[in-house]
Amino acid sequence: MKQMETPVFYEDFELNQSLPPLTKPPVDRVQLVRYAGASGDFNPLHYVDEVGQKAGTGGVIAHGMLIMGFAGQAVTRWVPNRYLRRLAVRFTGMTRPGDKITVTGRVVEKRIENGCGLVVGEVIATDEKGEVKLKGSFEAALPLKSTPL
Amino acid sequence: MKKVSSRENLVGRELCRFTYLVERGKIRELVLAIGDDNPLYTDPEYARARGYRDIIAPPTFGTCIDLWGGMDFTTLCSKLQLNPVKVLHGEQEYRYFKEICPGDRIEAVCRLSRIIDKGKMYLFILETEYFNQEGELVLSSRHTIIERK
Repeated sequence: MKQMETPVFYEDFELNQSLPPLTKPPVDRVQLVRYAGASGDFNPLHYVDEVGQKAGTGGVIAHGMLIMGFAGQAVTRWVPNRYLRRLAVRFTGMTRPGDKITVTGRVVEKRIENGCGLVVGEVIATDEKGEVKLKGSFEAALPLKSTPL
Repeated sequence: MKKVSSRENLVGRELCRFTYLVERGKIRELVLAIGDDNPLYTDPEYARARGYRDIIAPPTFGTCIDLWGGMDFTTLCSKLQLNPVKVLHGEQEYRYFKEICPGDRIEAVCRLSRIIDKGKMYLFILETEYFNQEGELVLSSRHTIIERK
């Protein structure tokens, strides 16, 4: 919340800088039902254990998009929404009820383009055992503290 | 394998086109399910004080637009002739061009851009563009579906 109030500039980011991690409360079944209703993804794999067993996941698994939602929450804490240009992820692992997800990030590229400060970062969501659930990147076009002449 | 050739006919084609009216309550449901407490998504005063018309949609709101406004999972599977229990969400990319607010009337156009045979799986790449009531491109999505063989 506070991060939205203070202006954020291109110069505030450094190459290879680690961004503040976001740790979420453990994923629970009520959350999966809420997410199903909110998103409209009613695939029973996300809330009926027997379906998960048949599909070979050993029970219900979280919607990948819920975990991307966590990634979006972390990224918009690092970079105000208005500057976010792109968010892309690859889903690499299944999340089960009880998993505690932490989203971490790092600045991997910085460059000035058309008077805007482009910052590219990686974003990774892992559980408490270190298993990677998704891996991706974000791009933001940030204002410059010093307007180039 | 003959299944693939009939599916190949869909490549480059428009899969669906639909209109979705952005609802305040749907944004709220989504951020509550994610557990994202950014007031930009729920507090109009807060959002207006930061130069927005109203509250804004979070980065993964495209999934609500797709599933509530366009094809649900079952429809998508039948359209692409996918076996639902073999389907996984592989990758998701969003590009952001302009904010999305309650009351916006979004017109979305979804195309199947490619089918890739990866040996053990097929990848289906869906590309969707979202325009607001002013005809402005506000969001685009690249959704990779995995179908395990």
